[in-house]
Amino acid sequence: MFYKNIHIRMKVVGIIIIFLFLIIIFKVFYIQVISYKKLNKLALSLWNRNLPIEASRGKIYDNTGVVLADNKTTVSLVLVPNQIKDKKKVASSLAVILNTSYEEMYKHVNKRTSIERVHPIGRRLSFDVADKISRLKLDGVYLVKESKRYYPYDKLLSHSLGFVGIDNQGLSGLELTYDKYLTGAYGSIKYISDAKGNKLELTESYEKPQDGMNMTLTVNYKLQESLERELDNAVLKYNPDSALGIAMNPKTGEILAISSRPNFSPSKYKKYTIEEINRNLPVWMTYEPGSTFKIITLSTALEEKLVDLEKEHFHDSGSIRVENARIKCWKHGGHGDQTYLQVVENSCNPGFVSLGQRIGKEKLFKYINNFGFGKKTGVDLNGESTGILFDLNRVGPVELATTAFGQGVSVTPIQQITAVSAAINGGYLLKPYIVKSINEPETNSVVLQNKKQIVRKVISKETSSKVRMALESVVTNGTGRTAFIDGYRVGGKTGTAQKVKDGKYMVGNYIVSFIGFLPANDPEIIVYIAIDNAKGITQYGGTVAAPIAKRILSDSIDILNIKKPKGASEKKYNFLDKKYYQIPDVKGMSLEEAMKALEKFKVEYIKEGDKVTYQSPKSGERILEGETVKLLLGG
Amino acid sequence: MKNIDLKLFITIIILSVFGVVMVYSASFVWAEYKFNDPFKFVKNQLVFLIIGIFLMIMISKINYKIYYEKANIIFFITTILLILVLIPGIGTIRNGSRSWFGIGSFGIQPSEAVKLALIIFTSKYITNNSKNLKSFSKGLFPILGITFLVFGLIMLQPDFGTGFIIIVTIIGMLFVSGANLKFFLYLFLLGIFGITGLIIIAPYRLKRILSFLNPWSDPLGSGFQIIQSLYAIGPGGLFGYGFLNSRQKHFYLPEPQTDFIFSIISEEFGILGIIIVSILFLIIILESFKIARKVKEPFGKYLTFGISFGLAFQALLNLMVVVGLVPVTGVTLPFLSYGGSSLLITLCSMGIILNVSRYR
Repeated sequence: MFYKNIHIRMKVVGIIIIFLFLIIIFKVFYIQVISYKKLNKLALSLWNRNLPIEASRGKIYDNTGVVLADNKTTVSLVLVPNQIKDKKKVASSLAVILNTSYEEMYKHVNKRTSIERVHPIGRRLSFDVADKISRLKLDGVYLVKESKRYYPYDKLLSHSLGFVGIDNQGLSGLELTYDKYLTGAYGSIKYISDAKGNKLELTESYEKPQDGMNMTLTVNYKLQESLERELDNAVLKYNPDSALGIAMNPKTGEILAISSRPNFSPSKYKKYTIEEINRNLPVWMTYEPGSTFKIITLSTALEEKLVDLEKEHFHDSGSIRVENARIKCWKHGGHGDQTYLQVVENSCNPGFVSLGQRIGKEKLFKYINNFGFGKKTGVDLNGESTGILFDLNRVGPVELATTAFGQGVSVTPIQQITAVSAAINGGYLLKPYIVKSINEPETNSVVLQNKKQIVRKVISKETSSKVRMALESVVTNGTGRTAFIDGYRVGGKTGTAQKVKDGKYMVGNYIVSFIGFLPANDPEIIVYIAIDNAKGITQYGGTVAAPIAKRILSDSIDILNIKKPKGASEKKYNFLDKKYYQIPDVKGMSLEEAMKALEKFKVEYIKEGDKVTYQSPKSGERILEGETVKLLLGG
Repeated sequence: MKNIDLKLFITIIILSVFGVVMVYSASFVWAEYKFNDPFKFVKNQLVFLIIGIFLMIMISKINYKIYYEKANIIFFITTILLILVLIPGIGTIRNGSRSWFGIGSFGIQPSEAVKLALIIFTSKYITNNSKNLKSFSKGLFPILGITFLVFGLIMLQPDFGTGFIIIVTIIGMLFVSGANLKFFLYLFLLGIFGITGLIIIAPYRLKRILSFLNPWSDPLGSGFQIIQSLYAIGPGGLFGYGFLNSRQKHFYLPEPQTDFIFSIISEEFGILGIIIVSILFLIIILESFKIARKVKEPFGKYLTFGISFGLAFQALLNLMVVVGLVPVTGVTLPFLSYGGSSLLITLCSMGIILNVSRYR
């Protein structure tokens, strides 16, 4: 047929066309199945927009639920450059509000990015500034909530808490050490955007930010406040080089309060030097402990049964000869004949030298090591020092003698308080700690919990009881009298140590300290105070540090609800001491009768009638003689 | 005289109605953005579809032999229009080409009309010179000369895509008409030399042509459109995101309702949409080929083949661009892409085939 050839060629063309369509379908299949993963990933990175939502940092609480580190919500400026139509106008109005240059702002507005954070000028805006920006109602200009660290009590516990930087990252203290717990995880609003940066209605997923974990400390806010107040007062009064204090539960090793001067305001950390910020003195500072170290010598001698405190006597002539050296007692002329209990009460240096000699260097240093000196306590605060002890091979009779009363060793305050806790708590050296627990913010489930941790047993229960008794009598009868709290059993020991500079003792420059505990028979709190180079006062632990410790111990009675014991040891009074008297009940008496009954006190009264209807303080209270009792006489 | 080919007619209606629906889906985002009216494009397209179907039915009633008689005058008029459109002030520039007569918001492209006119003209030429086709100088040269002349005029606009389709369509017609196969071998070699020459003159062309193989080598330039197209086809997956749910039409793919509407179909309907659209095209093409074979006289045969082959080549070229098999040429997809004059001419051509189908 004439057209046969034409028809064959048409069919060939038809087959080629079918074939090409099949290739196209196959190629689409290939793109949709084989290239899917790669293309989908690339396309999603093109479509997806992430608006990050900052998580709240975990709060830090004291052991009664007081918030010590909180969060405040602030707003920050975020730009979506694609959505900004009039870039020049937006840049100029934002520049004016944020008080920056137009060029700077124009750069932000024109960034080739999906979301631009205006850092740092647009971060953590004040309410005023944020309000001005939001009133402009500019397209593509957003204010997002961010949370900012906030320390409600400012300088309180500053060294231990530490502080955070602008991105809420922990930079020092517990904020740094526990940063990974306290930091939450960013959440985000993920959405598909069109090419102009507008959100598409199609899909939106909200990923909740994971708030940081909450941390509870062993610190008691009220006690901490008391310590801070006392340190502030000490700074005002004595203008010392530095001052520090620790309060601890001797039975558990929980730190109840810890602070030092100089301290800093965490929200203005940039104003301080690195040393001021980083040196958490109670764990960092090392110095000769002085007489508070005698507790270690005493405990060792008692544990090794080398001394009978009440029956054995020691004669202090004012100095003791050790090899070629003459070691003087702090009291000129000496204490004369004393029982060893009196040696402790008087903090008599020659007496302790004799104890050291009885113990011998191997045993003494073994106990010093066992009490935790020369090693970090392992407290969960950063920047802890080790302290320095004599190398045992180099310890001769003189070094043994000085070590026995606290010279020639270098210790940290936290070592000192931990060691004395062991001496008085029944003999257990504990690992001190400040973090009680870390909890999940929503479920409150425990993520980390610290418990009492015994490092080792150092002395026996009986020895510990004897040490407590001896230290109680230091406060009742001896150098620690200024720490006496009427009606309570207080034990303690003073310390006065000369500071060393360039290998020589400095003149007139002491670190005076006091370590005290309450109640002496069953201690619930131990307080250590050290004041470095107090000025304008005779520098003794008893005159400077003990009264401070006493006020903190007094505060602790209410705060820790410490019961009044029955057999509180009576304080011995010297002629200078004022005495405590119990106030009689004068209700119903006439004015003359009441005045007579209250002759040891000063009386102020308001007379509206003939009989006493109200008295303050109430009957049965004990106050110092000469203090005021107020009366109301009604009809 | 028989009835029109109903199978072909229904397929055309289904495909072009689907085209209007897809124009809506693909265009409403841009339409909303540019004109504040999401229906802007689809309304235009619908008007042209209705007019087009009306014209198609009308034309299907006009005896196609009239084109044999009027072939020269039709070709002459459309060529004049093609020249006129190049004159600034008469033709308007759209998308970088001076290829439009603007009438209000509508535009008419004379190159589309020239394509049909040249097919008619060639059909007549082959019919009259069937004996001379074995000879190059007497048979093939004159008609190829005219074709390249038209191509040259279109390249002045410039509109390479349409010009290329016209050349391939005419060559396809000559192939079917029984021209010597050696000739096509020479033509192929000539093409190779031509392209090689162009590359030697300006080596950057090779890079551009080959960029379709790895569009990511120039993601913001020559690779941009194909990457955006792949982002529609790939992530949409085998099942698609569903009607209206394309993501790439949200300003990522430029003018998704025109050249890349196939990507949007794939993104919304998945592989199933692609297979159905391909089948619809194949039905139209193969049914037309069947009509061409059945019709008893040569002019109707060549005319039907020419029209449907041109349609097939344009569709294939568009699809291969969209799926990344060939470089971007700027060719629309018949029946589906937005464009009034293109749809109108396509439907009119289909009217002619439908009329031919009465003489099966």
